[in-house]
Amino acid sequence: MQPNVNVVSLVSIGRHPQSGRSRRAEQDGRAVELGLSLVGEALTVVHVGEDQDPVLRQYAGMGLPSMTVLSQGKECDALPVLTSFLKAQLPSVVLTGVRSESGESSGMLPYLLAEALGWPLVPRVAEILHIKDGQAEVLLALPRGQRRSVQVTLPFIASVDNAAQEARQTAFGPGLRATLHVETVDSVVDDAAIQWEMSAAKPRPKRLKVVKAKTAADRMKAATAKPVGGGGKIMKNETPAEKAQAIFDLLLEEKVVR
Amino acid sequence: MIFDWLPPTLIGVLLVLAGIGAVRRINLWRAGQSEKVDILAGLMAMPKRYLHDLHHVVERDKYMSRTHVATGGGFVLAMVLVVFVHLFGVKSEILAWALLAALVIMFCGALFVAKRRLNPPSRLSKGPWMRLPKSLLTFSITFFVLTLPAAGILPEGFGGWLLTVVLSVLILMSLGEMLFGMTWGGPMKHAFAGALHLAFHRRPERFGGGRSTGLKPAVLGGDVHGVSKPTDFKWNQLLGFDACVQCGRCEAVCPAFAAGQPLNPKKLIQDMVVGFAGGTDEKYAGSPYPDGSGGVQDVGNAVGGKDQIITNGLINPDTLWSCTTCRACVEECPMMIEHVDAIVDMRRFLTLEKGDTPNKGAQVLENIIATDNPNGYSPASRTHWAADQNLNVMKEVKQADVLFWVSDGAFDMRSQRILRSFVTLLKAAKVDVAILGDEERDSGDVARRLGDDATFQSLAKRNLATMSQYRFNTIVTTDPHAFHCLKNEYGDFGSTALDGVEVLHHTTFLNRLIKEGRLQLDAFSGGKVTYHDPCYLGRYNGEYDAPRELLASLGIEVAEMERSGYRSRCCGGGGGVPITDIPGERRIADMRMEDVISTGAEMVAVGCQQCTAMLEGVVEPRPVVKDIAEILAGQLKEMH
Amino acid sequence: MSNFSSNDDALHSVFRRDLRTEWIARNRLHPLHDSVVSAQQGGEVRGPTGLLRKNPHVIGFIGPNGLKRIDRANGSFVAIGGKKRVPSAKDSQRPLHLVENPEGYIMVVGDMIGGRLTSHDKDILGLAHQLAAEKSKVAVVLVCFGENKETQCDLAGVDRVIHLEGNVFEGFAPEAGLSVLQQIETSYQPMHWLFPDSVHGGSDLGSRLAARLGERPATQAWQVTSEKTISRGASGSQDISRTTPRILMLMEECANAVEDTRHEALPLALEFDVSMAEGDHRLIDQGQIDVDSNAVPLAEAEFILSAGNGIHNWDQFHSAAAALRATEGASRVAVDDGFMPRSRQVGASGTWVTARVYLAVGISGAIQHMQGIGQCDKVVAINTDAGCDMVKRADLAVIADSEAILAELTRLAQQRELSKEEEESDAA
Ligand SMILES: Cc1cc2nc3c(=O)[nH]c(=O)nc-3n(C[C@H](O)[C@H](O)[C@H](O)COP(=O)(O)OP(=O)(O)OC[C@H]3O[C@@H](n4cnc5c(N)ncnc54)[C@H](O)[C@@H]3O)c2cc1C
Ligand code: SF4
Ligand code: SF4
Repeated sequence: MQPNVNVVSLVSIGRHPQSGRSRRAEQDGRAVELGLSLVGEALTVVHVGEDQDPVLRQYAGMGLPSMTVLSQGKECDALPVLTSFLKAQLPSVVLTGVRSESGESSGMLPYLLAEALGWPLVPRVAEILHIKDGQAEVLLALPRGQRRSVQVTLPFIASVDNAAQEARQTAFGPGLRATLHVETVDSVVDDAAIQWEMSAAKPRPKRLKVVKAKTAADRMKAATAKPVGGGGKIMKNETPAEKAQAIFDLLLEEKVVR
Repeated sequence: MIFDWLPPTLIGVLLVLAGIGAVRRINLWRAGQSEKVDILAGLMAMPKRYLHDLHHVVERDKYMSRTHVATGGGFVLAMVLVVFVHLFGVKSEILAWALLAALVIMFCGALFVAKRRLNPPSRLSKGPWMRLPKSLLTFSITFFVLTLPAAGILPEGFGGWLLTVVLSVLILMSLGEMLFGMTWGGPMKHAFAGALHLAFHRRPERFGGGRSTGLKPAVLGGDVHGVSKPTDFKWNQLLGFDACVQCGRCEAVCPAFAAGQPLNPKKLIQDMVVGFAGGTDEKYAGSPYPDGSGGVQDVGNAVGGKDQIITNGLINPDTLWSCTTCRACVEECPMMIEHVDAIVDMRRFLTLEKGDTPNKGAQVLENIIATDNPNGYSPASRTHWAADQNLNVMKEVKQADVLFWVSDGAFDMRSQRILRSFVTLLKAAKVDVAILGDEERDSGDVARRLGDDATFQSLAKRNLATMSQYRFNTIVTTDPHAFHCLKNEYGDFGSTALDGVEVLHHTTFLNRLIKEGRLQLDAFSGGKVTYHDPCYLGRYNGEYDAPRELLASLGIEVAEMERSGYRSRCCGGGGGVPITDIPGERRIADMRMEDVISTGAEMVAVGCQQCTAMLEGVVEPRPVVKDIAEILAGQLKEMH
Repeated sequence: MSNFSSNDDALHSVFRRDLRTEWIARNRLHPLHDSVVSAQQGGEVRGPTGLLRKNPHVIGFIGPNGLKRIDRANGSFVAIGGKKRVPSAKDSQRPLHLVENPEGYIMVVGDMIGGRLTSHDKDILGLAHQLAAEKSKVAVVLVCFGENKETQCDLAGVDRVIHLEGNVFEGFAPEAGLSVLQQIETSYQPMHWLFPDSVHGGSDLGSRLAARLGERPATQAWQVTSEKTISRGASGSQDISRTTPRILMLMEECANAVEDTRHEALPLALEFDVSMAEGDHRLIDQGQIDVDSNAVPLAEAEFILSAGNGIHNWDQFHSAAAALRATEGASRVAVDDGFMPRSRQVGASGTWVTARVYLAVGISGAIQHMQGIGQCDKVVAINTDAGCDMVKRADLAVIADSEAILAELTRLAQQRELSKEEEESDAA
């Protein structure tokens, strides 16, 4: 632990993908987890939004003695409020999720904060290895479990990837007893967003393999081809070498063997 | 004679010391949380509880029950008379003869105790308990000799001062065990604590043939949830722990112990005693906790104190998470100790305060909170299984004779087969039935057993609120866990939704339908069938007969397993244990399947989707597993 | 700056004879003779003098009478063994889309994984042309950093290319990239900036540019016209419909890739001093860490070789996993029996995996196991029991003894490894 580093984790209200109910957001939970592993209870956890939301108790239940809520309405822009809060606090590390689970989900917040504060930003962090002499060594999550090591100068902003340590379980009792420091702030309504039309997501059609049939033979083939994904292929009587070759071809086709 | 004063003085002194010990002991218990108990009524009821209820359990071991009547009865009688004859010096030959008779009875009993101790089974604790028969024998012989003069058999002063001194030494030894030990923590403590435990039991409903199996709701909102340190238990729970005779019957039936998981209910109760009395477990002389990989844990390292967090040094959380809450131990305990209550109390602390539910626990609880089902499926897909079933939904019909509580089996393809079979039967019997559809939520069983009583209570209240909008006479469910919650645990939340509603398991309900002649079934002609009693149907709710009668109605003669009925061995699916998944040497389900196989059965009938899942999780080849509803639906006579 | 057209290699690059191949092609007894000959059949063959010899038997060859040789079973023609995809005649027949003296630009910043356009990049190029078509004289510009191996920019719809190479752009260098983008912004004032909304750097760079320029981008956009954009919000559960902004981060399949036209793929000048792109000294890339395929967390693994009760030779299993560079998984039985650690268990009480390919060897497919692989793309089963549930679920199932198949697979993997090494030493 690095008790003398000032770390702030930003949290938002998540959304369960199946039920659509509010919950502790996956990545924000990981941001709190990462913060706790860095500085323990010295971590500052900040939420911008409504102070009555029960989800805040789920974050607090991770063992936070207190949380800060910059209280403002749903339709307000979190950026100006957070910028002035962070300018006043001057933390060394600010942790956020990559994308929020509710609202626009643009993932722009860490970038805009970094821009406003003039700090470097490391995206998709899997782990912060250590913080020493004003420098942090950070592992970025790359696809397929790969990692990249980056050294970054404090203060910085990091967005926390799903590959980071999973958020610890939230406990009911401590969550209930944690104190919420509610600060009322001058908030700015997000005008642009008000113009938008929001609707339930339409399912996107899966792209079909469009065969640009230029010959009759082509059209015939396209019409009679076995549909993709309709039940699997079973190989029984071929030789082991043929069977293995079929598997290997599939591995190549899926590009998992290179 | 110079030493004549010695025996009465010794008796007196030891009685006083015992009295002091008793006060001390009582104070240890009183350090627990207050709980309202009717002291007087309890004390009055105690003899009956002892003679009737306790002996009902002890009777299962005939040898021990007779031995205990002789030894215990003889001792109590003898002790009372000793006080009159030897302490107060009441000169009455009748009393003296009565005393002699009591001592002879006790002596005979003690001989049998000694015999059992010659080659004791592993479930019995050794250590001081090996000394007990000697103390019992010494007590009866010593006082026998001491009483002979009072009975006029031997002249006064027989044997001179030498005999008196020898007898005094023996008195010190035996009465030391019997009186001093009783209140200062020797094996005889069980008599003192046991008697009071019977009087002040936390579940008095259990006496007189009753049943009380629902967990008590946790109080939410305080400084601590659940039991963190011994003094967070209710005082009469602490008293209950003290009543343990270390007979190890609980150990012998515990499925987790047999599977080599780090749990032994007897040791757990003894650790509770170490906890509130302070000290270490070094004096424990029974089987230790298994270590999960075929060996055992060392004894002597566990340290406890009444204000120390139990899971810091006294008990490893894995011990608590190994329990399937099958209640086999509770059912078997002659002292009627409530292991499951204690275990869940401590789990509540781990989950609600520490946020430390192992393995998939955290995720399952999070899912239950966010989606009302443990696997995080969309709540809007709860009724997909019934798309082709044409079932009435309460939201539309508002009332029905029977509410079919579907349970989370709705999301599981295997369980859906059971649900569909049951619906087929309901339709064949033309039952006026409806379901709650997507308005139903998880019953809260798993959350509660995992210690998350906050979530359980929230689910219970929401389910009750939903049900209170509709009218129905009966709830039927194929899930014994939901059955138990609805029947025994939902009553604590002040709702009238279930007033006058009968909650039934599907086997009970189907049995009625058959008795009323509403279902026409063909005889079953498959092979040999055995039946597995689900814990939450059998031990929790006493339903052993309906499933057997149903099978009999198909002409099936159940090939009973050795452990069946109230002694049924758990399938390993209860208490959230498949979720916390504490490693053991073996799997409980595998052991249960061995029980099944040893009957030679080709099929095991069950009455629970969880048991079905657990038993089908045993690798093939193995007997077929089917829910009774599935078997019945297969034998339904075609209607023309 | 190089040119990335598909037809440039034969015309512009220096011709080098491959004496060994020629020798093998002549020597009919050589073991590789067949493969070499068939490889050469697709394209032109160099005569001993270096002159191009045309093979009149090849499909698409236009004979002296002007008739084109066609393939009735269209599509069966595959260039076997060719190291580079040879542009088929059909491609070179595509009409060339010319943009002379463009008056506007749409910048597409590709992910270019491994130096090649990804299918995501191509979709976005397709979209860029849809947007460009609504105005005249708009060029679609591909902006790319680092090594560029793409040979088919022309077919993917690239009118112009801005390509920057140099050490500053290697690895994780978002600030260097951003400084280039800013320079482009000043020089060309593009109509749109299009980025793939991907984990490969597209969304990072796009977000940086948007923050720097102070423009609100649309992220996770999937339906875009020049007026209106529909993008996903609230973790994919909502559609946000708004006026199309200048900066867009686009989802896969946001449009169809270019298919009918060829493009110039000409370099576009940019006044940019690479030495200026020093980047941010506060971010120092220390390089990618070599994560062993078996050290990859099970939940993140893309290819899992999973063992069940039907594995009897564990050494062989482990070496097969190593040869295939797969992450190892296991059924509960394999874990219970002590052959695999608990952390490798897949299923209800183990890990829920998301692999692209899940290869289940000797696993029966119990419900609890299946729960764990629900999100896998392709499931392959090796099992002796054709009736088991895993075979029913599998996209490809092989009914055979696990040991025999694993032996073959290991052999195939090692063979491929060898031939890849050869290829690399050949290329060197
Ligand atoms: C509550 C609960 C939770 C569970 N959680 C999990 C879990 O998370 N993960 C999990 O995996 N299981 C879990 N199980 C166990 C599950 O039910 C099955 O028992 C287990 O998955 C079976 O493992 P298996 O397929 O390896 O073994 P088996 O069922 O024995 O299957 C072995 C397969 O190998 C084939 N085979 C045999 N020999 C060969 C050979 N030489 N070559 C090729 N094939 C061969 C057989 O045909 C068979 O299909 C759980 C069970 C329960 C009750
Ligand atoms: S808890 Fe009950 S069953 Fe277990 S040893 Fe003690 S008295 Fe016996
Ligand atoms: S309830 Fe069952 S598993 Fe738990 S301790 Fe008692 S016997 Fe063991």
